[in-house]
Amino acid sequence: MTNDIFAPPLKTISHSSMMMAMHFLKGRRPEKLGKVAWVTSGAPVELLRTLDFYTFYPENHGAVCGSSHQSVSISIEAENLGYSRDLCSYARTDIGSILSGKTPLRTIPPPDLLVACTNICQTVLHWYRVLAHRFNVPLVLIDTPFIYDEAADHAVAYVQKQIEEAVKVIETVAGQSLDMKRFREVTSLSRKASQLWMQILDLCQQRPAPISAVDQFIAMAPIVSLRGEAKTVDIYGKMLEEVEERVVQGIGALRNERKRLLWDNLPIWYALRYLADFLGTRGIVLAASTYTSAWGKLANMFNPDNPFESAARTYMHPILNRSTGDKMKTMMKMVNDFHLDGVILHSDRSCKPYSIGQMDQRDRFINEHGIPALLLEADHNDSRSFSEEQTSNRLEAFCEMLGV
Amino acid sequence: MFNIPSRTEAIKKYKANGGKVAAVLPIHYSRGLFRAFDILPVEVWGPPRIGTGKSAAHLQQYVCSICHNALSYIQQGGLDIADTILVPHACDSLQGLGSILLDFTPPRQPVFPLYVPRGHRQSGLDFFAAEFHSLYDRLSEMTGRFPRNRNLLASIEREEAADSLLKELHTQMRFLPSSNSAIYKLIRSREYLPAEEFTQLAQDILKMEQGTPRQGTPILLEGIVPEPMEIFDALSNFDAVVVGDDFASCGRRVYPAGTSHDPFKRMAERILHAPPDPTRGNSFEERQAHLMEMAARTGAAGIIFYIVKFCEPELFDLPILQKEMREAGLPTLLIEVDLNSPFSQQAQTRLGAFLEMIQ
Repeated sequence: MTNDIFAPPLKTISHSSMMMAMHFLKGRRPEKLGKVAWVTSGAPVELLRTLDFYTFYPENHGAVCGSSHQSVSISIEAENLGYSRDLCSYARTDIGSILSGKTPLRTIPPPDLLVACTNICQTVLHWYRVLAHRFNVPLVLIDTPFIYDEAADHAVAYVQKQIEEAVKVIETVAGQSLDMKRFREVTSLSRKASQLWMQILDLCQQRPAPISAVDQFIAMAPIVSLRGEAKTVDIYGKMLEEVEERVVQGIGALRNERKRLLWDNLPIWYALRYLADFLGTRGIVLAASTYTSAWGKLANMFNPDNPFESAARTYMHPILNRSTGDKMKTMMKMVNDFHLDGVILHSDRSCKPYSIGQMDQRDRFINEHGIPALLLEADHNDSRSFSEEQTSNRLEAFCEMLGV
Repeated sequence: MFNIPSRTEAIKKYKANGGKVAAVLPIHYSRGLFRAFDILPVEVWGPPRIGTGKSAAHLQQYVCSICHNALSYIQQGGLDIADTILVPHACDSLQGLGSILLDFTPPRQPVFPLYVPRGHRQSGLDFFAAEFHSLYDRLSEMTGRFPRNRNLLASIEREEAADSLLKELHTQMRFLPSSNSAIYKLIRSREYLPAEEFTQLAQDILKMEQGTPRQGTPILLEGIVPEPMEIFDALSNFDAVVVGDDFASCGRRVYPAGTSHDPFKRMAERILHAPPDPTRGNSFEERQAHLMEMAARTGAAGIIFYIVKFCEPELFDLPILQKEMREAGLPTLLIEVDLNSPFSQQAQTRLGAFLEMIQ
């Protein structure tokens, strides 16, 4: 990125990327891993961590494929076998990778267990059924009823029961019993890491924002994929110190911050740099994102003293499992707390639960709150659904509206 | 061929007798619960050819036409006659539609969501029973009625009787003296007729059953909803006979009778024990076994996947099911449709070529 526009990257973000690289490197030697679980990003991973599973996140792998501009060629492998382009591009990337063996990681470890939690979408239910059929391994499904208003007691009890029932399957695959003391410790580590992550993001309420959402998209990998590990707490502790230091010194992600925006939905992985440059050269920082904060906002719901019930409550409440109206309130609060000048809503063809509702949310921002808002059509992993020219035109017009 | 009342006629008649009407979006819910409150559930599968003029301001173009049309229809006032709207949770798109209706574009009548559990376990059944109890409370609040358990059970049993005949119609459809189209109009009248009227109609028609099967190439259909319904006439024109289906709106909702004496558990178990459905999380093995059993029982010569564009639950299953059906010797054809488009000439041509190949 251009140095006269952007501050130097955080050292700890490089360290967190290195941590992820080491994790993927470890995955190249399946024979040394012990048991492997493939997990959705919102699944209660603490049980797996307690029972020493190596966890692999197909969504995270999808993002790696997208960032390295390989997701289209890998998706085509799935499409050639009948998987429609109307399906989620993460799923197509994952299935294409399995079918073809193509991956930027060189190899990915096959699963002994699959864990899918519907708190991010129903897509994962269908996607993981495909994986279960392919690999012929147990699929643990944690079904989290969508929260239209408040989480009903019977819904929390249902989720808790499923998590408790999952223990037996996971123990059988792991070949060991769950140690409750260790489970509480892991829950505590998840809580701590999520709290630190949220503290880092909250520092972006400062002017200038010390890091941007683009930085956060990179830095978030451990809180998604290595939640519940001590090293994750450690890296975010150090990252918090580094970001605090930036705030003290008045260093912003942009050297000349003029406007601050909220980013809604997943990133456009293959166009991150393009977006950062386009906005950065105009002095616009993405100071907050609903996506990156999803793994922090629930931090205080983890309760090591009551790990099962708190897991049920925690994993029922991600932003994607709550109503479109609740998301609107969350975004408005972020606009106020982070002193934002506008909102970009990424209408993500591959993520319906995140995207449906955005058209009304945009209208409400503009018509009821007087906040500029832009709906940007794209796809988080499939660059064929992204037009740089069209995006530039729309962003340019939006920048004019913002007065930059 | 059959004298089947239309949706409008059924609604007017029910209302004229003092009853209320609930508009119900796809897929699974308990008809018996609504009828215990003297509410007639009338299902809204689209409807077709409504267009996206109104919905396009709220839903992106990559959302399926079932959701688009439902929202457009609501906004055009098409459901104004309904006293309430139920939105069962079947997929991410219906989830979003329900949420928008509650939070951003509220219709004039109350909207109730209903979460359908995924997977098959006791905890799911208990949860689903509690969901029905919660819906009972909302309907009580709306109507001021409090049906007792025995009334609920009587209402459920009436639906069970109707569903038993629905199953019989599915089983005997090849032996009914009528066209593909007329038979499916009859089957789909279960979407809106009161159980007792459907029962009478079905009994009368089953008496007409003939000993010899209708002649033609036996075909199975799979998908969410048989729209556009022109496919039935197209099949007839090519001398094909529909002998069974795995539509979410039809065959997947041939609910078995329940056993529990708790009415809410009985509502739940009926749905959870229905034929496999990807939106309820059934495995490929269950779906494959169900389709193969149906093919063997009916002597089907091929299966047509009649898929509404953008439908993730269907599209995810398609490659594996098609492959396995083909490997089992059952030719398959995929036709992707939009509820706002007619059955296209291209689809007719492909259908003709497919049937020519398997005849």
